[in-house]
Amino acid sequence: MALLINRRRALTLLGAAGAGAALASWGGPRVAKAAAPHVVVIGGGFGGATAAKYIKRRNPDIAVTLIEPAERFYTCPFSNLYLGELREFESIGHGYDELRDTYGVTVLHTWADGVDPDAKSVRTRNGEDIAYDKLVLSPGVDMQWGAIEGYDEGAADKAPHAWKAGPQTRLLKSQLEAMEDGGLFILAAPANPYRCPPGPYERVAMVAHYLKTHKPRSKILLLDAKDSFSKQALFIDGWESQYGDMIEWVSLSNDGKVVRVDADTLEVETEFGTRHKADVLNVVPPQKAGFIAERAGVTDESGWVPVKPATFESALVDDIYVVGDATVAAPMPKSGFCANTQAKVVAAAIVATLEGREPPAPSWSNTCYSLIAPGYGISVAGIYHVVDGKIAEVEGSGGVSPREAPDAFRTREARYGAAWYAAISNDTWGTAGK
Amino acid sequence: MTMHGRSLIRSVRRRDVLAAAAGLAACAMLQPVGALAAGPWQRLDAARDLIGDTVPDTTGIRLDLPLVSEDGSAVSVAVTVDSPMTDDDFVQSIHLFADRNPSPEILAVELTPRAGRAELSTRVRLNESQSVIAIARTSRGRVLATARDIRVTISGCLVRADTYDSPADLDTRVRVTAPARAGEPAEVLTLINHPMETGLRLDEAGDPIPERIIDRFEARLNGEPVLRARYYRSLAANPFLRFHVAPETPGTLALTWTEDTGRIAEAEARIRPG
Repeated sequence: MALLINRRRALTLLGAAGAGAALASWGGPRVAKAAAPHVVVIGGGFGGATAAKYIKRRNPDIAVTLIEPAERFYTCPFSNLYLGELREFESIGHGYDELRDTYGVTVLHTWADGVDPDAKSVRTRNGEDIAYDKLVLSPGVDMQWGAIEGYDEGAADKAPHAWKAGPQTRLLKSQLEAMEDGGLFILAAPANPYRCPPGPYERVAMVAHYLKTHKPRSKILLLDAKDSFSKQALFIDGWESQYGDMIEWVSLSNDGKVVRVDADTLEVETEFGTRHKADVLNVVPPQKAGFIAERAGVTDESGWVPVKPATFESALVDDIYVVGDATVAAPMPKSGFCANTQAKVVAAAIVATLEGREPPAPSWSNTCYSLIAPGYGISVAGIYHVVDGKIAEVEGSGGVSPREAPDAFRTREARYGAAWYAAISNDTWGTAGK
Repeated sequence: MTMHGRSLIRSVRRRDVLAAAAGLAACAMLQPVGALAAGPWQRLDAARDLIGDTVPDTTGIRLDLPLVSEDGSAVSVAVTVDSPMTDDDFVQSIHLFADRNPSPEILAVELTPRAGRAELSTRVRLNESQSVIAIARTSRGRVLATARDIRVTISGCLVRADTYDSPADLDTRVRVTAPARAGEPAEVLTLINHPMETGLRLDEAGDPIPERIIDRFEARLNGEPVLRARYYRSLAANPFLRFHVAPETPGTLALTWTEDTGRIAEAEARIRPG
């Protein structure tokens, strides 16, 4: 207990007087550790990069290490626009210069392979053990290989999911480029919950834009494991007005749920036995929290991570905080924006706890913009807080784009979407996002 | 009613339950099996009627459903009862309830040994966070019960859409999957396109839309009953039921759905022993 109080005092002193003064009051290695608590962040996407940055912004004397294998992180948001040829691929890539150079975050480009919550230590792929006082996991999602019969990691080389931006996205793009005019593009969409609820519906719109421009006789079949989806009426209106009858949506109750995939023949089979053969097959399978979450022991039987709503600390393991798509944060959706605001709440909670203060009351916001065609955007927004110990949407806070709206309204929303991406890129990585 | 009000009611009830549990512990000497019977079914009239004076067994029956549903309009629920399904020991009926829906009854299925396996899946409507309850009765008079809590949220980005309107009214779908191993029952998937109009919705003029549901479903193998089900308005639109059948000879599986107006839809499938 005495050590804990000393640590809190040390931090307060650090905040007030700077490192030199604080270190002068104590001597020895034990004190050095106490004086500079160490936060390790695993995952450098919207959640992890934001957490690292905002911890440093709140208290630069806390040591922060970010572990992220990629030197450049490509975002799922706006990767559909690359498929639609409305974005260069590099425009959705972000590096870690700002975190390293401006904020003094130690960035390690390696995988985190294990977490020992008792020793409070992270094992990296190069075999290094890194001790932490607080750990932030922002591991994103992993695919549930085998949840759809025949759809495993090998199958994804032929029938990409492209649900993590990167080589999979480029593979899908090259397959669309190689497809003949008059071909059939099939997208299989999963049941909830999954990363980016409107994503599959924006994707078929962006693929339709590409096909309309280059291969106008082609068709799109969206086979869905759901009977309803995000911004449904707006999407269906938009698909029809922009692409006529190019896109056909098959709901769960009309036998849309894909249960088997043959990646060699690009055939899929649905729940009631209908078979469809694609020219380009995009399977978005069921997902779960990124593997490090399970290894850290923070997942439940659903494969996702339950958290304490006020701080996003794991409900199962102390001193591990989890943000983003990996968490059970409903009614907040699994979106990059949510990961970003959750990370700010986590940063505030961690810094407050390390400084011996109560974490502040949280509030989160989210907007999901989707692009249906160039100059045709739609959105859904919400603000969230904690009610009776659970996350709830602030009543009347958000909403969706109106169903009847003039073209100028959709054009403005498309512009807002691009501005949102630039702003959140800057907020998260200090990059332009253009 | 606000969510806040409901939560208060719930927490009060929890305290009651805790107090009751403490009471049970105190008189454990008198009623050693009392704890077995404790469950949300005790607070539900329809479930209590079914259980009667017996003490339900909470082992040998399992409910599978998600911990959290981000859209309560069609939640997958599976119930499995351990049973040999022989002529002298089989599960006679399985009942599903949602204790905080406007009407808790979801589904009641009478089974025969021809089903071969006491295992059902369906999709249900859940109005809010609550307990889903399964109760089974066997031919030997045993009663089994289990329950699981589920949190229902309507997630951001997921605006609950109107899934009542289905272009294909009374279209049926059937799939029989042959068993992986000889001697095992075959799996049957069934679905009928139907709005399952609850009677609780208002039309654009603000008038109630009358209740109109599929309320009965029956499966016969070569004319002999395999199962008979009552469907209630807490079953999701486009009622889905997965069950099993264990034929001794190749035959015809005949399925009949009946709407509460008396309209009937029928389907057939060929089926062979595993």
